[in-house]
Amino acid sequence: MKPILLQGHERSITQIKYNREGDLLFSVAKDTVTNVWYSVNGERLGTYNGHTGAVWCVDCDWDTKNVLTGSADNSCRLWDCETGKQLALLNTNSAVRTCGFDFSGNIIMFSTDKQMGYQCFLNFFDLRDPQQMEDNNPYLSVPCSECKITSAVWGALGEFVIAGHENGEINQFSAKSGEILKKAKEHTRQINDIQTSVDLTMVITASKDNTSKLFDSNSLDHIKTFRTDRPVNSAAISPIMDHVVMGGGQEAMDVTTTSTRIGKFEARFFHAAYEEEFGRVKGHFGPINCVAFHPDGKSYSSGGEDGYVRIHYFDPHYFDFELEA
Amino acid sequence: MQDTLAMVDDPEYEEEEPSFSDPEDFEDDIEDEELLEDILRDKPQEADGIDSVVVVDNVPQVGPERLEKLKNVIHKIFSKFGKITTEFYPEADGMTKGYIFLEYAAPTQAVEAVKNADGYKLDKQHTFRVNLFTDFDKYMNISDEWEAPEKQPFKDFGNMRHWIEDSDCRDQYSVIYEAGERTAIFSNDAKDPILAEERARWTETYVRWSPKGTYLATFHQRGIALWGGEKFKQIQRFSHQGVSLIDFSPCERYVVTFSPLMDTKEDPQAIIIWDILTGQKKRGFHCESSAHWPIFKWSHDGKFFARMTTDTLSIYETPSMGLLDKKSLKINGIKDFSWSPGDNIIAFWVPEDKDIPARVTLMQLPSRQEIRVRNLFNVVDCKLHWQRNGDYLCVKVDRTPKGTQGVVTNFEIFRMREKQVPVDVVEMKESIIAFAWEPNGSKFAVLHGESPRINASFYHVKNNGKIELIKMFDKQQANSIFWSPQGQFMVLAGLRSMNGALAFVDTSDCTMMNIAEHYMASDVEWDPTGRYVVTSVSWWSHKVDNAYWLWTFQGRLLQKNNKDRFCQLLWRPRPPTLLSSDQIKMIKKDLKKYSKIFEQKDRLSQSKASKELVDKRRAMMEEYRHYREAAQQLYHEQKSLRLELRGGVDTDELDSNVDDWEEETIEFFINEEIIPLGDL
Repeated sequence: MKPILLQGHERSITQIKYNREGDLLFSVAKDTVTNVWYSVNGERLGTYNGHTGAVWCVDCDWDTKNVLTGSADNSCRLWDCETGKQLALLNTNSAVRTCGFDFSGNIIMFSTDKQMGYQCFLNFFDLRDPQQMEDNNPYLSVPCSECKITSAVWGALGEFVIAGHENGEINQFSAKSGEILKKAKEHTRQINDIQTSVDLTMVITASKDNTSKLFDSNSLDHIKTFRTDRPVNSAAISPIMDHVVMGGGQEAMDVTTTSTRIGKFEARFFHAAYEEEFGRVKGHFGPINCVAFHPDGKSYSSGGEDGYVRIHYFDPHYFDFELEA
Repeated sequence: MQDTLAMVDDPEYEEEEPSFSDPEDFEDDIEDEELLEDILRDKPQEADGIDSVVVVDNVPQVGPERLEKLKNVIHKIFSKFGKITTEFYPEADGMTKGYIFLEYAAPTQAVEAVKNADGYKLDKQHTFRVNLFTDFDKYMNISDEWEAPEKQPFKDFGNMRHWIEDSDCRDQYSVIYEAGERTAIFSNDAKDPILAEERARWTETYVRWSPKGTYLATFHQRGIALWGGEKFKQIQRFSHQGVSLIDFSPCERYVVTFSPLMDTKEDPQAIIIWDILTGQKKRGFHCESSAHWPIFKWSHDGKFFARMTTDTLSIYETPSMGLLDKKSLKINGIKDFSWSPGDNIIAFWVPEDKDIPARVTLMQLPSRQEIRVRNLFNVVDCKLHWQRNGDYLCVKVDRTPKGTQGVVTNFEIFRMREKQVPVDVVEMKESIIAFAWEPNGSKFAVLHGESPRINASFYHVKNNGKIELIKMFDKQQANSIFWSPQGQFMVLAGLRSMNGALAFVDTSDCTMMNIAEHYMASDVEWDPTGRYVVTSVSWWSHKVDNAYWLWTFQGRLLQKNNKDRFCQLLWRPRPPTLLSSDQIKMIKKDLKKYSKIFEQKDRLSQSKASKELVDKRRAMMEEYRHYREAAQQLYHEQKSLRLELRGGVDTDELDSNVDDWEEETIEFFINEEIIPLGDL
């Protein structure tokens, strides 16, 4: 089926996210714009205006009431999803790289970059306490001196945050105390993205070391590895099939010529249990920066360096496909 | 007077003259050599005379009337080597016996005479045999007891042709990867390559196979090493500091190594020729530059090798490593030469010289007979292309016709198998990018034109004297031609700057079997049987995507093998077939019978592979399911916690709370139509 092309950004996409029910798709990019679209037909609902720098991350709470964004303009902003009104502005000392609502939607976390003398922090705010937001005073701020956090997601019940670091490490930070509950060092290079399965029991990591790995959220046990020949920028787990999708691309600095012919950058589908690649989808003009499955598993989206977001609905054939076993 | 005599005898005078006689019992203790050294040196010695004497056999037997003339001729020939002090022409019955003795002033001169005059052809019936007189003595005195030469322990390297005996007829190839750190040998199988051997730092730069595939040569700072046999043991080592290039003789008896470092005036060491089996250095040569390696070109049977220097063509013969006929050929202005791959014929060309036109000459060896000369006019440059069996020679001639500025190209096709070697000309209108003969046949392919309009033309050299253009494909993305070693099939490739475009062609009817691409491919290599083609992206030319891909001869992609920093892949050549042409005909006749057996075997092995894969998948799925069940269990147990966190709303499934659903109408963009409103 022909993919739906969303043209709403002038620069590369940094993250895309579906809301819990899947009818909305949020996209943020380096052009400071935050868009929200109807995922069914690609019609744009609106924009959240306010950021003055590249927006790195976006999240939506379970009830699709609030939207959270983090930007290179050293701020993390809370928005009303329906009206687009900015509800809160939290200033930081350095760029906000990753952000998210917990399972209940009451607590937000975001991490700041190691920049200009300031180290990386993982901050927690409780939205039920408006004082924290007003005073810009997180109830918990965890410093990460050694290696900055490059991506993070909440654990199943809002008890901890699973963070990926620049050196390939994964740590579980307690949302109550900030201490590191569990560690895992399986990747050899930077973690570009972490996403959870729809039931939050597993997380998948995408790394610059050309692999993507599946971990158990609670124990951080390494379950599967998916190997490619390109750095992986993003990975997602299918809600209904034993599939994972990965998107990536060649580092622009590393090569003088890359296969830049039209539509050559591909999203790769792997079988989650067999660790074997079974399909690729072409279409992007540049590296893919973010992939996400629709919560019902019947479609997926990808956002690329080319500034386009593509929504793909699967053919019936996709659901019947099976590797011989 | 009487007084003087009286004085001598007078005892009175004795006292005034001292006596100079030695005392009675005096024995001198000085050796003659010390005292008379200088005089003794010139003392005639019996040995001297013998060392300077040479015996010349096969001298014409003449009578007294021609003796004077004979002596003059001998004198003329032999005084070149030194001063002849004595000559002796033994006679019998009024005629000279047919052998003579010549004495030189010094033994060194005699040795010179032997070296240079032995084998001298005086005329058709008389070829001189020259020997040192002392040699006769030496040979006569060989002891009657024969001492067996000391037996060297036999180094058993096992079956050197082991790889050919592979039951599935898999060919091997060498792969260098990890930027040269690892070298591996694989057996080629359509499914997956099978590793035969792998070593770290086996070579320091690259590897080469010998022409019949028996040896693998690796390069090291100190020299090269040859490996072979089933386990790739080290067969031989050749010490040549700083060696950078090598070449094998076609018969695999000799290897030539080149090093830019080792060269002294007295001891030429830049190029060394070695005997592979014994490991001995046979001969060294000077070399100014290695620009056109191999400097020494071998004849197809390894009997001769030749090299070209300014105005000279030097041809050497094996195993003596000496110049053929003891002298080089003087060919003024010689620009290039090459051996026929099928016969001992050399083709060479010389450019125009004042009013003598440029010409291509075919010379038969060892007779040095010129079997064909072709004059060419207004020549700018020539290139020689032999067909692999030596059936045809193509000379690509770039000319500037009189009165024009541009350069046009002709192909002069020499038909070597026909009497008097007729030559046909094919004129080409465009500039030539590549040319290649079909290995076993009579076709050739040409890439011509300028990018992006590059055309591929196929010609057939027919028996009736015509050269027919079979087909031309235009607008090809190709800069190289790769024929299958068995002929008929070929790959047109656009390597490097043309991004790896590939076209697989069947030249029996000139159809494109497949068009494909291996992005940034830098090399194309056919296997020796012509069944498979490997395209590769070498780390030496492109730093990413280093891999080699295996295709069938029809252009179907079989494997993609990524190798970290892959550098080079070389197929192992096969030795020539042991079957006679009749046997080959028989096999081709019964091919259907054989192919049935092979197909069955293939099917079995495929299903075996699937079975392995299937089993593996099953095991993985089991494990995964097991894990998921446990996780699922925990998930269910936590349901109440989840409900609590979301204020009692059950969000576990998407359709958990249907009551909350709203109905919405959505518009879908179907079509756009632009209706002009007319001029306003």
